[in-house]
Amino acid sequence: MTEEPGPAGRAEEAISNVLASFQDEAARGVSSRSEFEALKGRYLGREKGLVTALFARMREIPASERAAYGARANAAKREVEEGIARLSEALARTETERRERAAAVDITLPGRRTRAGSLHPVTLVRRRIEEIFLRMGYSIADGPEIESDFYNFEALNFPPEHPARDAQDTLFIDREAPSPLLLRTHTSPVQVRELKKRGAPLKIIAPGRVYRNESVDATHQPVFHQVEALVVDRGIAMADLKGTVETFFEALFGAGTRVRIIPTFFPFVEPGADVHVSCIFCRGTGCRTCKGSGWMELAGAGEVHPRVLEACGVDPQEYSGFAFGLGLDRVAMMLYEFPDLRLLYEGDERFLSQFAPLS
Amino acid sequence: MKFSLDWMGDHVSLEALGGAEGARRLLDRGGLPVESAERSGEDVVLDVEITPNRPDAMSHRGLAREAAAMARIPFGSMQPGEEGDLPTSGPAASELASVEIQVPRLCRRFGARVVRGTKSAPSGGRVRARLVSIGAKPIDAAVDATNYALWDSGQPLHAFDLDRLAGGRIVVRKAKRGETLVTLDGVERRLEPSDVVVADSERAVSLAGIMGGLDTAVTGKTTNVLLEAAWWDPVAIRRTARRLGMHTDASHRFERGADPEAIPGALDLAARILLDAAGGTLAPGWIDARGTAWARRRVVLRVERLRTISGDPRLEVDFAEDALARLGFAVSRRSAKRLTADVPSWRPDVSIEEDLIEEVLRVWGYDRLPSRLPATAGAGRHLEPLRVVEETLTDGAVAAGLHETYSYPFVDRRSDESSFAGWLEATGTAPAPLSVANPVDASRRDLRATLLPGLLDAVSRNFRHGAREVGLFEVGRTFGLPGDTARPETLESRRFAFALAGDVRTHWSAPVATRPADFFDAKGLFERLVEPWIAPETLVWKSLRTAAFVAGAAASCETPEGRTLGVVGVVSESEREKRPLPERVCAGEIVVEEIPRDRRAARFQPYSAFPPVVADLSFSQPRTVAWESIEEFARGLALENLESLKLLDRYEGSGVVEGAVKTTVRLTFRSPERTLEQEEVNRERDRLAGALSQKFGIEI
Repeated sequence: MTEEPGPAGRAEEAISNVLASFQDEAARGVSSRSEFEALKGRYLGREKGLVTALFARMREIPASERAAYGARANAAKREVEEGIARLSEALARTETERRERAAAVDITLPGRRTRAGSLHPVTLVRRRIEEIFLRMGYSIADGPEIESDFYNFEALNFPPEHPARDAQDTLFIDREAPSPLLLRTHTSPVQVRELKKRGAPLKIIAPGRVYRNESVDATHQPVFHQVEALVVDRGIAMADLKGTVETFFEALFGAGTRVRIIPTFFPFVEPGADVHVSCIFCRGTGCRTCKGSGWMELAGAGEVHPRVLEACGVDPQEYSGFAFGLGLDRVAMMLYEFPDLRLLYEGDERFLSQFAPLS
Repeated sequence: MKFSLDWMGDHVSLEALGGAEGARRLLDRGGLPVESAERSGEDVVLDVEITPNRPDAMSHRGLAREAAAMARIPFGSMQPGEEGDLPTSGPAASELASVEIQVPRLCRRFGARVVRGTKSAPSGGRVRARLVSIGAKPIDAAVDATNYALWDSGQPLHAFDLDRLAGGRIVVRKAKRGETLVTLDGVERRLEPSDVVVADSERAVSLAGIMGGLDTAVTGKTTNVLLEAAWWDPVAIRRTARRLGMHTDASHRFERGADPEAIPGALDLAARILLDAAGGTLAPGWIDARGTAWARRRVVLRVERLRTISGDPRLEVDFAEDALARLGFAVSRRSAKRLTADVPSWRPDVSIEEDLIEEVLRVWGYDRLPSRLPATAGAGRHLEPLRVVEETLTDGAVAAGLHETYSYPFVDRRSDESSFAGWLEATGTAPAPLSVANPVDASRRDLRATLLPGLLDAVSRNFRHGAREVGLFEVGRTFGLPGDTARPETLESRRFAFALAGDVRTHWSAPVATRPADFFDAKGLFERLVEPWIAPETLVWKSLRTAAFVAGAAASCETPEGRTLGVVGVVSESEREKRPLPERVCAGEIVVEEIPRDRRAARFQPYSAFPPVVADLSFSQPRTVAWESIEEFARGLALENLESLKLLDRYEGSGVVEGAVKTTVRLTFRSPERTLEQEEVNRERDRLAGALSQKFGIEI
């Protein structure tokens, strides 16, 4: 027969019961902060906590067993405290999960984008060309769009009444001036201005807007854009021009672009050249755009005419130079493949927003 | 210009050229590009682009010479034919007619031959066929003979009915004031004393170098023909042709420079064709009247220079000599280093060494030149600082979500820009616009003085196409400053303009009624754009009145130095009515020249490690008290440790008395040395409140 337990034995039993009941409750878990606080109070509350009560029994325990009992009560308290900490962590996790669930979105809904602006396709082409030339060490010059006959024609070796002026379809300004005023028909006057101002050596490009008396259609505009390149130094030859247009067009249109120059006439160059570039659409095999020739006539070029150098105060026996000029609007049309130059001046955002920088 | 391959064969072996393909390739590389080559029966018609410097190539003979030189094969006869081959009889030409040149500089040579006893007849089949193939219209033996000789030799000719020339006399002179002439096309031309005419003893009978007169033209009844071939001054011909709006095969060539030495050969050829088809007899001899003598130019070519300009060290004097000789230059070798070339009379374009270099290189082939890059050193940069300003403004506008557009600068000042008068005046625009004398569109002959109307047109087009929100900008020149016409650059201004219209934010998550762009969007954009150069708080905004903007919702902006920098405004109803525009369009323009060239320096500014303390202040103020004056006053109080003062809210409506507005400002305080107490901050705020109420009678 078993002996009735003494006070120590009963206290020992109480420890086991408290632990067992805590483990039961902890295993069930808590679903809210208040449930958790109630549970914590039930066991660890300073007044009525079940674990706290275990220490109140100390007095009942015989002195000889008190130390052993105390140790066990402390172990039980630690166990409960650890259990409570685990529950607290679990609760925090649950609460975080709940908040996050509430913050979840349909990730397939459209993003809220900031408004994206855009550059005009001709600006994009101009910037690309400027970048290529800057890397080749050219500076970028600029000039007025209203010019005098002197800068637009005379200094460029277009004598008065010369038929070469016919091809320029000039828009004249209705205003008395020492040298008749006009809207510049090409960017070449910038050559004269810069050479007069800075002298040789000079290595520049001059991008800008030019004007011709053209009626508007898909491929003609009274307003368009050119870029002019000019190098003046000792011994600048046709070979320099050739290498430069080859390098430039390969950078602009990509590797494998072929370039050829053939003789032609512009009053401000001698020898003069037309620059043909292998068609970017058919790569030179012949298509509708290049009229089957495989080539596109893209730029006018040549060695700067000695009379132009003289007009700018540069000695043509000491210095020589090359120049070439290129239309930007047509290049934009080719690179972005839009069909009609009129689109460039209509300001329609559906058109303007379509283009990205060239690389 | 169209040419018959078969006809070219009169002057060069087509076989040696390699037929049409060969001719095409040779002319292309020589700088006379063949745009098309079309079969026409047995013949091939070449359409050749001939630059204005090459009148000599505007004939079958000239083109054949080019092709032969490029192919380095023999060219037929380069020398004009001599008189004497043709049978002649009767009185000499000089007994039948006389020529007097009164303007020797303008007419250096006037040649004439006389054919008597012709009858009206069509020209021969071969002549007609060739003329038809190149698109010329056969008429009769006399006219066809002159046309044929023109297209063969390049020398324009004219056939007169000799019996209708009063006194059989020809006088080359200036037209008399008020003189008239009915030209072959039946149009009566009023002549000026600057025009050169061929006259008989009584009246003008031909507009020299351009078109003959109707009265003296050959007709079905003509029996005696005087054939004329002359050299005319290019500038004189061009002036008259342009003034009269005429352009003929003859004027086209004379304007570009004819060959005085081609005259006898051309006369012989025309006479031969006329005699063949219409019979008659050729009077012996010819009239060769002379004006100022022409000289053959002599140009030196140095091999060293040839190599320098071409960049090709392989070029030798032998090659240059051969190339020039084939093109008709009389070359004499001086040494291995240089040669002298006498320029042929048909090459008015060649006068300097570089011209000879081009000739040699054309034959050498540009495609054979080496390629290299210039050795010129230097780092590239922008030479015009304002271009950098424009690019920075552009990038700012793109970052703000605007699209760049371009528009034409052609406007009508009165209808397009008068509503911007207040703005034009603020920018110092001259009252009278700069106009185009020969405009593309007669209703828009003025050059724009502001970019804004063009930009608003573009906004309108976008709304017409169904857009709900539009943000556009443009960088461009405007014209019409009262500058110096001797320095055209002073007449221009660089401008940057923008327009915002419609809903500024639209997204599926935004409220249904989104906010339309307003004055402050435009002003804020303006401030953001110029911020790299000018601190926005130093800008001075002044109310601006101009019909294009709502009165009281438009402002000009001045730099701290008092220069007009720009304008911002809400577009007025009257301006909107001109082009359909949505209810609220805001626009602005910046005068790029007024932006300092250098950006504001960006240098590190140390900041406090202590936390900020915030105090808000709300007060009710009369609407008439400008925010600017409140802000300025508040800053003047120098509140202790004030870091920033910001407008937080403005409210009008229920709870606020009529004519007043409730303003809330947020004051942020921060000390560089310690954490501030809320109480001390509140004391400073209260100091501001007291001062404001004293100064402006504001209700706190």
